[in-house]
Amino acid sequence: MLRFIARRFLETIPVVLIIITATFFMLRFVPGGPFTAEKAVTPEILRNLEAHYGLNKPLFQQYTDYLVSLLHGDLGPSFKYSNRTVNEIIADKLPVSLELGSLSLVVALVIGIPLGVIAAIRRNSWIDYLCSSFAMIGICVPTFVLGPLLVLFFAIHLGWMNASGWYSPVDRVLPCLTLGCVYAAYLARLTRGGMLEVLSLDYIRTARAKGASETRVIFRHALRGGLLPVVTFLGPAIAGILTGSFVIETIFQIPGLGREFITSVFNRDYTLVLGTVMLYAGLIIVLNLAVDIAQVWLNPKLKFE
Amino acid sequence: MCGWKNNAPAAKLGRRARRLILIGLVAAGVVAGCRKTEAPAAGRVLRISQRNEPSDLDPARASLPDELFVIRALSEGLVAPSPDNGAPQPAAAESWDISPDGLAYTFHLRKDARWSNGEAVTAADFVASFERVLTPATAAPKAPLLFMVRNARDFAAGKTGFASVGFHAADPGTLTITLEHPMPRFLAYVASGPWIPVNPRIVEKFGRNWTRPENFVGNGAFTLTEWHPHQRIVVRRNPGYHAANRVLLDEIRFLAFDNGDAEERAFRAGQLDVTMAIPFTKLDTYQQEHPGEAHRGPLAETRYLSFNTGHAPLNDPRVRRALSLALNRAVLAEKVLHGGQQPTMRFVPPALRAADDADDPVSSADSNAPNAARALLAAAGFPGGRKFPRLELSTWPINAPISEAIQAMWKKTLGIDVSLVSREAKVHIAALRDGTYDVAFMTAIPDVADAANLLSDFTTDSPGNYPHWSDAAYDGLIRDAGNAADASQQARVLRQAEVRLTEESPLAPLYFNTTNWLMRPGVRGWHQDALWTRFYQDVSIDEKK
Repeated sequence: MLRFIARRFLETIPVVLIIITATFFMLRFVPGGPFTAEKAVTPEILRNLEAHYGLNKPLFQQYTDYLVSLLHGDLGPSFKYSNRTVNEIIADKLPVSLELGSLSLVVALVIGIPLGVIAAIRRNSWIDYLCSSFAMIGICVPTFVLGPLLVLFFAIHLGWMNASGWYSPVDRVLPCLTLGCVYAAYLARLTRGGMLEVLSLDYIRTARAKGASETRVIFRHALRGGLLPVVTFLGPAIAGILTGSFVIETIFQIPGLGREFITSVFNRDYTLVLGTVMLYAGLIIVLNLAVDIAQVWLNPKLKFE
Repeated sequence: MCGWKNNAPAAKLGRRARRLILIGLVAAGVVAGCRKTEAPAAGRVLRISQRNEPSDLDPARASLPDELFVIRALSEGLVAPSPDNGAPQPAAAESWDISPDGLAYTFHLRKDARWSNGEAVTAADFVASFERVLTPATAAPKAPLLFMVRNARDFAAGKTGFASVGFHAADPGTLTITLEHPMPRFLAYVASGPWIPVNPRIVEKFGRNWTRPENFVGNGAFTLTEWHPHQRIVVRRNPGYHAANRVLLDEIRFLAFDNGDAEERAFRAGQLDVTMAIPFTKLDTYQQEHPGEAHRGPLAETRYLSFNTGHAPLNDPRVRRALSLALNRAVLAEKVLHGGQQPTMRFVPPALRAADDADDPVSSADSNAPNAARALLAAAGFPGGRKFPRLELSTWPINAPISEAIQAMWKKTLGIDVSLVSREAKVHIAALRDGTYDVAFMTAIPDVADAANLLSDFTTDSPGNYPHWSDAAYDGLIRDAGNAADASQQARVLRQAEVRLTEESPLAPLYFNTTNWLMRPGVRGWHQDALWTRFYQDVSIDEKK
């Protein structure tokens, strides 16, 4: 397994390098720069600004300079926020996104998997229909509808919590519920499907024939196999939930990295875009690896090659 | 398979699941029962929505009004715009003398002016701040607002030493500034952002980190206590401020809201006292149902259509004028925009005009002259819009309704077709800058209350000359205005330049923008002028409301 991980790790190096290179050059070919504004700056000021950030050097030299500073762990200064570096911004914002993401994931797992299991056990009963309807609604209602609805009810109508912000533990409830519900819906459907397939397999019949209690059959035998599609889905889903919560961060004005990433593109904050893209790429690579390991662990038919 | 189904264990599991859900609900209830923290805090705290995260709180680096919302609470320049009429009034300087030739301004600083670390604010601090703004390595985006000072431009270009620049600190309380040539509106520039001083010792000590709350030193009514980017900036009353007894607030919180809908929800939930805007879809509702909370003020912002004069047939002034005259601006403002915008045929907004300049050639009749427009288009060789090439009207994303209305007006009045293009904001501006567009929606916001600042953008080779228009007569008028000795002569020449701009129509002014915002009835003394300058000193909160 260690060899498997080591090989996969080596494979990621060229991938990350390609991502950095592509992002670096694509960004520079987008019209408009960090200093493009309605009120145009004079040529002499533009020269000062470009010299200040090293944009007056040849493009390829800027690229190699960037790679060298990367090797030192330095993601460079932000082009937009002149008193902060990209390292500082990521260190400041990533924990917020991670907190939002992991709490939402807990919500998703706690709601989604039990619903899927219950629906599978009580297949075609009213409980199943109820769970499946929840899942369907959860998938169909976008977060930008669910979020404001929850705010209207809990924050404005009942006055129980803030409409937005990220100050106290209470402020975590609505955003995590909103983001968690959508993923819970997917998880419920996948769990139900996976469980139904596994419950019809021979080894479950064998387990029951040997007199295993139903609880043991479900949790000990069926769930492990039934969760396989869930695990496959969770890899990219975790990456998405940890990084792509731009919509939730905007609805609830959470100072997370998702919002920083999107606005950095609009600001042409070259270094910040590069820094966040790299971080996301790394996260997706690591999580995909984790999924592969978990699948081998869950599915005896697979082996590390 | 069904034979294996045994309901009893499943029912047990169901109970277990129910128990789990119950626990979850109880936990949620407990959490929900906790008090929220962003409720109105003790003391006189004003909570204002901050739309754009400041790129910095350094006056030399600031380029947006949003940054100055915070900076002006923390520091003050020699003079500041008056809340009543925007005229410069004493701030860090208590008085000033102007030499008879209009070239030398001598400012007398307040003796009780202190930095928030207790040091005296001296004339040398101001000189050091100005040197910093002009130094190329600082890369101050608004440094040109100091270029009227003698040799300042040459120093910024590295052609001369700072000793030859017209700043002189005769003693700690006296600062003399010598200009290149007389400038009637000079004090309006002194009141602008880059003229706000920094404490040179603090900047020296902390470098680019000097604007962090733990390092920040200013000379304003408030001091910086918290800055959590994209979350909030908190400033507290500065007891050492020379007019501290006039300041009625204990604290101002600038809460980050980069989304208008989220901001409006937070206002309704009681988290905000003053918002930045009212969502377009809710303008009418607030006006009708909560008139005490909906507020409106004029802005010195002109929204206009820029014609690319390098593209045929837009190189013909008659075509441009026809396109301009075919627009019914009153309809655009009332039926499309809903925000109280003022339709106009003039480019210079009222806040920047001379006191005696009341005429607005844009009375409603003139702003919609379909017959004249058709005649001009026919004279240019396109009777009834026939053979008129299909042009592109480009905007940035939020302007779809108004560009569709313009498209329909041109079709109806002139019989011409234009296609609509919407581009991301910076892509749009880059197209304007590079001249790769036909007709584009654009906005003009002056840096200071000076019409020359706005009109000089359209001289040949000016970087803000988006129509890529070149007119020797216009360039000459702007040059004359720069050399005018007194204010009324300058205003007259600028008025001629504006008329020339209307006649030649490299652009078609549409309307002067307004700002609409929500404010709790308990907020008193709120002032924000047409240039987005705010005055926090007189603001108070009636906590009973």
